[in-house]
Amino acid sequence: MAPAAAAAAQPAPPSLSLPPSQFARLQPHAYLLAHLSPPPSSNQPSIRANGRAPSQFRVTSANTGSLTHTNGSAVVRLGDTTAVCGVRAEILHTEDIASWSVSRPTPASSSPTGNKRRKLTDSTAKLSAESENKEEDGDDESQIQDFSLLVPNLSLSTGCAPGFIPGAPPSALAQSLSHQILTLLHSTRLVRAEDLRIWYQPPNLGPEELERHNENEQMDVDAPQGEVDLEKNKEIKAFWVLYIDIMIISLAGNPFDAAWAAVLAALRDTKLARAWWDVDNEMVVCSDAVSEARKLSLRGLPISSTFCVFEADAASGWRAVVIPDAEEEKELDDSTRKGIQRRWVLADPDGYEEGLSQERICVVVDKEQDGKGKTVIMKLEKNGGWAVDTKELKTLVDISAQRWEDLKQILEQC
Amino acid sequence: MVSPLILLPGDEIPSEYLPSTNSAPLRLGAGLRLLSQPSSNPSTPPSHVISATQSALLSTDTKRNAVSLLSTPNRRYIPTPGDLVIAQIHHSSPDYFHCMVTPQAPQAMLGQLSFEGATKKTRPMLKQGDLVYARVLSIGLGAGAEVELTCVNPATGRAEPGGLGPLTGGMVFDVSTGLAARLIKASSSSAEQQDGVAGLVVLDELGKKLEKAGGFEIAVGRNGKVWVDCANGGDSAIKATVAIGRCLSTIDEHELSPTDQRKLVTRILREMKIES
Amino acid sequence: MVGPTASLTPLSRADGSASYQCPSTGSNILGSVNAPIELPGRRDALRPEDATVEVFVKPGTAPGGVGERYVEGIIKNMLTKLILGREKGYARRGVVITLAIVGGESVGRGDSYLTLLPALLHTALLALLSASVPLSMTFSATVLAVDASGKITREPSPKEAATATSLHVFAFSSNGHLLLSESQGPFEFKTWENVHQRALAICHGTLARSSDGDVAMAEDVDGQPLEGALREVVEDKIHLDYAWKIDAP
Repeated sequence: MAPAAAAAAQPAPPSLSLPPSQFARLQPHAYLLAHLSPPPSSNQPSIRANGRAPSQFRVTSANTGSLTHTNGSAVVRLGDTTAVCGVRAEILHTEDIASWSVSRPTPASSSPTGNKRRKLTDSTAKLSAESENKEEDGDDESQIQDFSLLVPNLSLSTGCAPGFIPGAPPSALAQSLSHQILTLLHSTRLVRAEDLRIWYQPPNLGPEELERHNENEQMDVDAPQGEVDLEKNKEIKAFWVLYIDIMIISLAGNPFDAAWAAVLAALRDTKLARAWWDVDNEMVVCSDAVSEARKLSLRGLPISSTFCVFEADAASGWRAVVIPDAEEEKELDDSTRKGIQRRWVLADPDGYEEGLSQERICVVVDKEQDGKGKTVIMKLEKNGGWAVDTKELKTLVDISAQRWEDLKQILEQC
Repeated sequence: MVSPLILLPGDEIPSEYLPSTNSAPLRLGAGLRLLSQPSSNPSTPPSHVISATQSALLSTDTKRNAVSLLSTPNRRYIPTPGDLVIAQIHHSSPDYFHCMVTPQAPQAMLGQLSFEGATKKTRPMLKQGDLVYARVLSIGLGAGAEVELTCVNPATGRAEPGGLGPLTGGMVFDVSTGLAARLIKASSSSAEQQDGVAGLVVLDELGKKLEKAGGFEIAVGRNGKVWVDCANGGDSAIKATVAIGRCLSTIDEHELSPTDQRKLVTRILREMKIES
Repeated sequence: MVGPTASLTPLSRADGSASYQCPSTGSNILGSVNAPIELPGRRDALRPEDATVEVFVKPGTAPGGVGERYVEGIIKNMLTKLILGREKGYARRGVVITLAIVGGESVGRGDSYLTLLPALLHTALLALLSASVPLSMTFSATVLAVDASGKITREPSPKEAATATSLHVFAFSSNGHLLLSESQGPFEFKTWENVHQRALAICHGTLARSSDGDVAMAEDVDGQPLEGALREVVEDKIHLDYAWKIDAP
């Protein structure tokens, strides 16, 4: 780093020189600007104060299954930002859902036919996720949202960053992040409603069916086509509710990317026990055999990337200068390539950089949706300034697509 | 006269709306900013444009070579040095009277000795609830700064303009800050115009009609307070005071033309049975 | 296309206020602004030379939740950039914006706030103008829904929004900058570009930069650009307030 080198080179002019760490604190804006725009004579590349290139993400690592008392868990580290996520599954009886009996006609009338269709295809294609993808679309998925089957909660733990004091109510940031995760879970439809349903299969009174009592799961899979009629009597008795608790144990900028990656990794790790409705006891019974537990089959792999914009002119909001309108801005942009750069888009900002920038961009992309390998944007968010327009957003989507590949590998290896 | 120009934040003032005399420097009122246009060619000096930061009606004063914005008229009063206000004493401390200018703002300070001819012996003994007509001396800097009032011109030691000091008797009416500003404008310019100044003829009309009843005294504070007293009114003093208050609050609520204002005065005086 | 209706300064006690109804999304927002006000002792004022902007969103038809914190954050982040917090009398003081959702479809748990966002932003802008808070420029915003067939619906009703594949909110400054873009649901960048063009036409109407005939037609469908509609609301109010001055001979 340039200032570090400069400080080392001059051994003892104590009165006026500052070590880089103090310069960084006293003049944060000038410090970052000095790194990003080195003098042209020095031939140094533009680099951030943390040593990264503008579009470089921090070293990311993920670890799953470390919490033994949860159904699924993950720890994701994004540089110094660390998020822990635990998924706990609980059973919600349909009798306990106030709106269940009211809304029941809709799912009941649609699900038997839906299941019938599914069974027909399943008998040929088995339970392959891809075929289900098309069959299971539509109304069925609204159950997740209608009955709040996914409950994410994010907390910024005490001491994760200066300013988080014990006993404080959830900060606006924590609440806002919880909401963003919930909305993203809904809008990406990551979790399939079918994975969360606990069915009751009434026994067929035919003699040969009696022995198959309580083997719903097996029957689900193996039901021959002739028994399709049975499916009409199938009934949802309960749901799994997934409580997704995220704790940011260390916050050094960009909490959303870390939290979302942790949720994704934890859900990929989540196993639900086999559960069925026991008529005799009138309760849901779970199997304790680990081999019978199944993983969730998630839809796609949406991955988020956050960026922020650092403006060269710290007082741009204050200086009495005519703000160029959008047309002029484009021309200016072209002219900056030759001369001095006015702004930098920084990927995966750390806490220091977040404090110095106002404009935020968050892109969530997925390449697995529909399985075509195309980059599909699940969420695109930008606010807080006017530096980023169509052209810049296009570049950012491409960077996010690249990031998707990297993070996919990390998540698959953990 | 050019058509009225309404500006929104970010709008630039076209040059034809600016006073054309170039001899004196142009005065910019609140809400206007002088912005420099960064020129692409560094050799030419940057040009300047004046742009608005509020949504307002542009008003130019060619005599003073000033241009200002008339923004939302009925907003909360924010003290500005030089404003005349009617303040109410809240309590007093050894050096200061603590006064309420608006109920929303912290109390303003009025020095015990900032009255005309006041010494330690002769200073007015004001009690809680008493009214003073005062000028804003300073508003301090930054958050939590104290507003200071005065009833004398510090340079001359006189109560200038006349009438600054304790207000005794009479009654205070609340009006909007917009109407208060118009009333001050109307009363400060003595031009005998047919339609009044700032579209207000109500005070002239009341003055004429109530001359027989002994006339009245009025003080208008920028903070939306109007003090009215008919000390010479005898029996009808209270009635006349209330009538003036009613006229002002009706004009405040409804936009009335000068003719309507005259009609209103006549109607209210008749209703209150005050002979004119 | 029925345009939005708005009124300035409906509340007499607040420094500035505005009410805003958007018939097509069914949203009805009442907003108030108090500025500049003294904030209770804040030692942690991060930028002592600037004003502190606070935004509160109060759902009137549904219980409050974490969703409001999120939308408050977005509105605050965007407005902070436009409010000239260093003007005289504003530094270290507060600009408090309160937006109440008084009518229309409520936003449930985990639902997106996107359909309401343009109405909230417009209300905040009008209330700021009514309070004479200095701003560097104005803006206009709109929400668009794209359904499975790729059809773009302007300002969708809650029902249309629920069936849409993706939802997009855009805000453009009076100078044509893209101030805010919030999109959700699966879509491709090409779709986003189309929606962006359409949104620009809705907000500004001017289509200087697009040469193809398709978008020019859309301009006619959308009627008066939003930017102009908002300006008219403000101009009407000022005309009313200063009738004595403007109508004077």
